[in-house]
Amino acid sequence: MIKVVNLHKSFGDLEVLKGIDSEIKKGEVVCVIGASGSGKSTFLRCLNLLEEPTKGDIYIDGVPLMELGKNINSLRQRVGMVFQQFNLFPHMTVMENVTLAPIKLKRMLPEEAEKKATVLLRKVGLPDKDNAYPNQLSGGQKQRVAIARALAMDPEIMLFDEPTSALDPEMVGEVLQVMKQLALEGMTMVVVTHEMGFAREVGDRILFMDGGVIAEEGTPEEIFDNSKHERTRAFLSKVI
Amino acid sequence: MGFLIELYKTLSDAIYFNLIKDDRYLLFIKGLGVSLKLTLYAAILGIIIGLLVAFARMTKNKVLNKIASLYIDIIRGTPAVVQLVIIYYAILGSSSLPKIGVASVAFGINSGAYVAELIRAGIQAVDKGQMEAARSLGFSYGQSMRYIIIPQAIKNILPALVSEFIVLLKETAIAGYIALDDLTRMGDIVRSRTFDAYTPFIVVALMYLYVTSILTYFLGKLERRMSISD
Ligand SMILES: Nc1ncnc2c1ncn2[C@@H]1O[C@H](COP(=O)(O)OP(=O)(O)OP(=O)(O)O)[C@@H](O)[C@H]1O
Ligand SMILES: [Mg+2]
Repeated sequence: MIKVVNLHKSFGDLEVLKGIDSEIKKGEVVCVIGASGSGKSTFLRCLNLLEEPTKGDIYIDGVPLMELGKNINSLRQRVGMVFQQFNLFPHMTVMENVTLAPIKLKRMLPEEAEKKATVLLRKVGLPDKDNAYPNQLSGGQKQRVAIARALAMDPEIMLFDEPTSALDPEMVGEVLQVMKQLALEGMTMVVVTHEMGFAREVGDRILFMDGGVIAEEGTPEEIFDNSKHERTRAFLSKVI
Repeated sequence: MGFLIELYKTLSDAIYFNLIKDDRYLLFIKGLGVSLKLTLYAAILGIIIGLLVAFARMTKNKVLNKIASLYIDIIRGTPAVVQLVIIYYAILGSSSLPKIGVASVAFGINSGAYVAELIRAGIQAVDKGQMEAARSLGFSYGQSMRYIIIPQAIKNILPALVSEFIVLLKETAIAGYIALDDLTRMGDIVRSRTFDAYTPFIVVALMYLYVTSILTYFLGKLERRMSISD
């Protein structure tokens, strides 16, 4: 569904991605792990062109992203993203956060969008917060609203950039639970995470990034239990 | 006792000669009206110019960008009095605009530069993640500005805008340089008739203070309103 070929990205003189090749299949859950600064976020952000690659190609369903031009907006509608800092719209209620994009971009009727949002908010475990503003929610609740907001566009793939890193420890579980549910329902997901337990349990495939390349990839067993690379083992011994 | 009688006589004389004789209080009221009108016109013009210039500064168009920042640099780098006099002679030479019109244009052009910076700062103060979240949902840049960024920026901008207009009202006190009969100049006119340097300007100061206090009161209310939903 997504194919990445020789992806490079530099910020000025700093080369952050140094040639990434990967393929993400429909329904697959890919977890990206690696040390801070190894380029995980940059890689993820290239997948919906929040960062513009310096070199290389990304294909979504065979369509090359770099040639989309103005159509990038309709592509992004098909790719949901969840951020570490939630990035909910603070001037809107939970319901408005979740319904804005479907109403404005998909021309959905407000009643219809609200009906859908109600279903999604129940699904993420927030059935009674429709009229709350983001600042009235806990971190875990905010992140679950952010997931519902992304899901409201019916994305074919969801990107998560350290969705639990900004949360108090006791709230990590509730967000991971929602993500796990999503994975079980067959959503295609790319998850940058430091939650190795989640990666092992939910991930179909693990990408270990180091110094701007994918240093090793494989099933959770291959990476966590039988890693072939010294660098992977060194990283894992530090985080587990 | 004698001292108090003396004080009473001085005060009542001051009030009589500076305010009551020849209905001089009317001069102050008229002057205040001119100052307020001038501030209002200049503020409206300032907002219009400010919006355009802020927009010009934020587009990717290099030429517009340069022109906008040059304008801001010139206005902020020169005294308002000098700008006022230059514009007065530049416009007066070619039109029949009344003085208050000329002054409104001058103060509007001056205020526009400050308003533009304040709008830009208000927009830039919105967290970068907001634009990214909007774009990631599929909104275009323009839609993201309209639905997500501007509504939040307005909360930053409105209170700053009111402050700017409080400053503007005080700044218009230099309109006397082009012989416009604003509040400050009325103080001067009364002084020249009563030869009392103190009283007219204390009256003038109190009148400015009265208006700015009202504006400041509303500013406080506005700031509280704007911070409720953050
Ligand atoms: N917009 C940017 N401008 C300049 N440098 C950047 C930018 N974004 C990221 N970088 C740099 O690129 C490198 C990789 O950053 P990236 O955010 O992709 O790392 P990461 O693996 O996600 O790290 P972390 O685990 O800390 O989130 C870092 O050195 C970072 O400073
Ligand atoms: Mg990161």
